[in-house]
Amino acid sequence: MIEKIDLWFEERMGWRPIWKALALRNIPKVTWAYTLGSATLLVMVNQILTGILLTIYYVPSPQDAYNSVSFITNEITAGWLIRGLHHWGASAMVILAGLHMIRVVVHGAYKFPREVTWFTGLGLLAVTMAFGFTGYLLPWDQKAYWATTVGTRMLEVVPVIGPWLLRFARGGEELSAVTLTRFYGMHIWVLPALLMLLIGIHMFLVVRIGISAPPKASETEEEGPELEVEA
Amino acid sequence: MKPEERSEYLEEYAEDKKKGIPFFPDAVFKDVLVGLTVLIVLIGFAYFGGAPLEERADPSDADYTPRPEWYFLWLFQLLKYFPGNLEFVGVILLPALGFAILFAMPYLDRTRLRHFRSRTWVMGSMGVAVAAMGFLTVQSMIDIPLPANVTGEINAAALFTEHCSVCHGTAIEIHEGTNLHETIAGGHEGMPAFAATLSIDEIDALSGFLVSPQGGAIFTANCAECHDSGDLAAVSPFELQAALSQGTGYAAHADLDIPEWEEVVFGQDRTALLNFLLAPDGQRLYGLYCSECHGPAIDWDGDRDQLEVLIREGGNHREMTQWRDVLPDSEITLLALYVVEPSSSPDGEPLFAQHCADCHGVRVPTAVDIETAVEIIADGMSHRSMPLWGDVLTEEQLTALTTYTLDASRGTPTLIGQALFGRLCSTCHGDFGEGGPHPSDPTNIIAPISTAIYLETRDDATIRAIISKGPSEGMAPFLESEGGPLTSDEIDALVAFIRAWEDDPPVEFPPEIEQGPVAGGSRQVFSTFCAQCHGEDGAGGADLVGPSLTSDTFQNAYSDEELFASIDRGHSATSMIAWGDVLTAGQVEGLVEHIRSLVSRTIVYSRDIEPIFQASCSACHGSLGGWDSSSMQLVIESGDSGPAVIPGDPEGSNLVRSLRGTGMQTMPPAGELSDVQIDLIVEWITGGATEEVTIGGEQAGGSAYTWTVDVQPILAASCGACHGSSGGWDAATYDSTINSGNGGPAVSPGNADGSSLAQRLLGNGALMPPGSALSDDQIQIIIDWINNGAAR
Amino acid sequence: MVHGEEQWTSGAGMAKMSRRTFLSRATTTMVGGIGALMGIPTVAYLVSPAKARGGLGVDRLPLGPISKFPVGEPTLFKAAIERKTGWVTQTEELAFYVFTEDGRNFSAMSNICTHLGCRVRWITDDEQFFCPCHSATFNKNGTVASGPPPRALDQFELLVEDEQLFVVGKVEA
Ligand code: HEM
Ligand code: HEM
Ligand code: FES
Repeated sequence: MIEKIDLWFEERMGWRPIWKALALRNIPKVTWAYTLGSATLLVMVNQILTGILLTIYYVPSPQDAYNSVSFITNEITAGWLIRGLHHWGASAMVILAGLHMIRVVVHGAYKFPREVTWFTGLGLLAVTMAFGFTGYLLPWDQKAYWATTVGTRMLEVVPVIGPWLLRFARGGEELSAVTLTRFYGMHIWVLPALLMLLIGIHMFLVVRIGISAPPKASETEEEGPELEVEA
Repeated sequence: MKPEERSEYLEEYAEDKKKGIPFFPDAVFKDVLVGLTVLIVLIGFAYFGGAPLEERADPSDADYTPRPEWYFLWLFQLLKYFPGNLEFVGVILLPALGFAILFAMPYLDRTRLRHFRSRTWVMGSMGVAVAAMGFLTVQSMIDIPLPANVTGEINAAALFTEHCSVCHGTAIEIHEGTNLHETIAGGHEGMPAFAATLSIDEIDALSGFLVSPQGGAIFTANCAECHDSGDLAAVSPFELQAALSQGTGYAAHADLDIPEWEEVVFGQDRTALLNFLLAPDGQRLYGLYCSECHGPAIDWDGDRDQLEVLIREGGNHREMTQWRDVLPDSEITLLALYVVEPSSSPDGEPLFAQHCADCHGVRVPTAVDIETAVEIIADGMSHRSMPLWGDVLTEEQLTALTTYTLDASRGTPTLIGQALFGRLCSTCHGDFGEGGPHPSDPTNIIAPISTAIYLETRDDATIRAIISKGPSEGMAPFLESEGGPLTSDEIDALVAFIRAWEDDPPVEFPPEIEQGPVAGGSRQVFSTFCAQCHGEDGAGGADLVGPSLTSDTFQNAYSDEELFASIDRGHSATSMIAWGDVLTAGQVEGLVEHIRSLVSRTIVYSRDIEPIFQASCSACHGSLGGWDSSSMQLVIESGDSGPAVIPGDPEGSNLVRSLRGTGMQTMPPAGELSDVQIDLIVEWITGGATEEVTIGGEQAGGSAYTWTVDVQPILAASCGACHGSSGGWDAATYDSTINSGNGGPAVSPGNADGSSLAQRLLGNGALMPPGSALSDDQIQIIIDWINNGAAR
Repeated sequence: MVHGEEQWTSGAGMAKMSRRTFLSRATTTMVGGIGALMGIPTVAYLVSPAKARGGLGVDRLPLGPISKFPVGEPTLFKAAIERKTGWVTQTEELAFYVFTEDGRNFSAMSNICTHLGCRVRWITDDEQFFCPCHSATFNKNGTVASGPPPRALDQFELLVEDEQLFVVGKVEA
């Protein structure tokens, strides 16, 4: 049965070669540490899915934001779960991306030929933090409001353009409806777009170049690759 | 990496790959297993931790302690180590630098080596960075979440959140002996000065809050329901002690359902609470409780412990001999003279040295006047009336007070300056720089030098120069090298003293209008001040310093604003002083009007009005219908809702309403005309809206209204019944109408605003006649009559 | 890639399954698990509001003293209720035709046409309700007289207490 469906699609889409190239390729023997990236990826998918679900009820205005979030949390079936997943997922994603990065540093995986992967990774980290910062305001509760007040005020210390930056970030002198909508716009449109772009390149490169092999302790020896020592 | 290393790597990698594992399912299995675990953990968090949601955001609640998301905490904490101007380094530079280093990693670590053992420095720095971030995060979490404890009505917490927490995070460590007031008010190592932003009481509340967070919590728990900490910040320590000790016996607490505070707040808690309410800040304490009797500082030459004992024991400390028993009256008087004014009675010095110096040292105690001094010396026990501060102040407060008093007694420039000022300057400038009539020439009024505006407009160098060299006339140079009595340092001290007024100007001009020559309507002001130089009629003259104010050139050269500015700020380097220091803005405005009214002016439509319309209106208001600005006749007669101009009645003219924006729509839509332009148009309409309109001159110079013809009938009809010669204001005769009155003259000619008659008619104060105001027209007649000089 | 398969074909103790097949199945199962963990709440979350059925929104809706209802002729009464949808509370106006033959027994029906929801009105001359949208008519008791509507006008349950008339709910068909 499954084979039949498989065949039916294969005849029409010809996806098997792609599957083969992607999935049935060989990669070096890797350790558990290599799962950190895909774990981050999973949480990212989780963020996108739950984030989109949240937008279904969420309204970005000072009048409604809090009420709609509270509605999601308390009245919609599994709303607490979806919000909870998004909330904790944000922290998890920061942690996992951080650990993933540490893994990459430990393995020296940012070296040739994976420099671009590393750069896009850094971009991903920045985008993730930006997600966290903009998302924090959205529930429009006390912690959201005041943490963002203080957070945006930090911009003021930039010499010369500081005050302007502050007004830019807040969309005015004070935190207001304008701040909320622009944070929302960032969180829902701008940052996801950047995220897609960066993760697209990141993943493409991971497949294209191939995942690095765990470095061998013997590498320092002059003979180099000829001396094949089992890791 | 060198090219051959690169290809070597690629070869080696191909080899690894060949000997590797299939991506699916081997690697994917691990990935998915970990993924599933992560997801389950997340669901667990969501289930047990929920999706937190606090109270709805309340922008007016500034007590809330902001906490960023945990992964930003390290940055938040970092701020604390980079206060003030350095903040930029902490917030932007360091993180940016960190990011830049990460970006450059492939270029910083460029060998072919990948195993971590061969890359110790990379591992090392990463370890340090991660540890640092972890440390900062933990640090920020365990830092006493100070304001978080203190919620409720405490505005100090709000102040902290608003002004301090950005840099200081949730708490500040206060080193012992820090003068918090000074630090907060004056700024410190990159921290801005808050003197301008916060009131003294606010700074006080903040200091208490910082010194005694525990006290804040106690306050919240016990007092905040009824009190704002700000209310209690400046309450005397006696009251505080009484309120705490007497429980419901304390009058203000009598009817309340409150516990006996003694049983609830005692020991350390009580101290903390008192410290919270009244920050242990010597300067503030001294200002609140000591300066009333002791003046700005105490001469103290003893040591610190003695001083502390003295303060602590206050009135119990009756150590001074009753000199009456020891010395003859004459010597006491001599001593008193010496004490009050050392330089004037040198004979007192040996006496002082003999009897007093043992305790008082070389510094001479101060006394306000001779009588007081005699009394104190004669009675001894000089601190009889002083409270036992030790009983009411907390240890911290006492220490702070002692420290401050001691420091202050050593003398600050301000104090030295004050002494000098009192000796040398106050004769002419008054004790508080308020000025006044020149002692030797009472017609010459010395303008105040302690107003905010005076101090703001003169920097230290200018004031120094004025004192050193003397201004052009009236004041002698004071600097030694210019032949004066003062050293350069002493002049600096004087400047410091004068500058110290700036925070808290002792003189808020305008002085009350009643104060002699400054009072009066525009005409009177003009003849008092301006006529000296510009002539009584403002026409100047050969023997007068000032220019003619009535010439066409003068009148046309300046707009009303410019005239105002000239008068207000004066002209440097001429004898035209900044009258704004002496006169109220209203008076200056009156002067401008007066100057305008000195001449009759002609407004010529084609010359003065038409250009305005052409520039600002004609683009839209042509022959398209509606109002047409193209000719004078059309300007007057056309309009959507009847003629736009009603000659003689600017208020009733639609044109004026549109220009002023009091009608349906402000015109021109792109932006109002200037006030000067609008006034010109209004005047033109007032004058009849003809090609040539004459305004001012004798018409404005003399009042159309006189007491006999216009005012008396109104007063007789509406006031005479009550206001006869029976006391209070008397409306019977011209003189009594003007000069009688319960609170001084009821009419101040030329100044309706300052005339109680006009004000009462308008209902400012109890309305007169009681219950039924005069008609607007009648009131206007009386106001105009007063403003034009209250002619008989 | 074949290499993995060969090596593990004869897994000893376990059921006769290659390591490869095992890993594949396990992986697929876990992917399914992830899908279910995320998918089921998603569906629940999305359909949740659909569970809310419009009711009156209040226990009872007072229409007024029974004395004021004209006898023999359906009369339109309006009452405002507060209805919470999502997190927004709105004031809604409900309208009922109240009908009584004897001033004691009342019936109330909705003025919403059961066809597509236009508002019907009572035409005294015809002794019928008329819907202007597709010219449907209903009889005095709410049953369809002519036109496209599929069923009679919705009836409401009434309660008389202390000479006051209340609407207490919809009569389920
Ligand atoms: C949103 C966050 C990120 C996601 C979803 C993500 C995803 C992935 C995945 C799935 C891989 C495959 C290998 C593995 O799992 O270790 C990978 C590899 C890699 N990532 Fe990321 N990554 C993220 C952030 C980062 C960051 C912050 C960095 C570094 C600054 C980074 C640098 C790299 C590099 C250099 C590789 C290649 C490693 C190798 O070939 O051994 N990534 N990433
Ligand atoms: C990198 C991925 C993301 C991160 C780190 C992230 C982070 C956050 C955070 C921290 C919050 C505040 C949640 C709370 O306190 O309850 C939030 C809220 C929100 N996010 Fe995201 N987010 C991410 C992706 C997305 C995406 C892709 C969307 C949708 C397109 C989205 C939509 C929302 C919405 C609507 C809220 C407000 C509802 C709520 O607070 O529960 N997020 N996000
Ligand atoms: S809606 Fe009433 S007939 Fe169609």
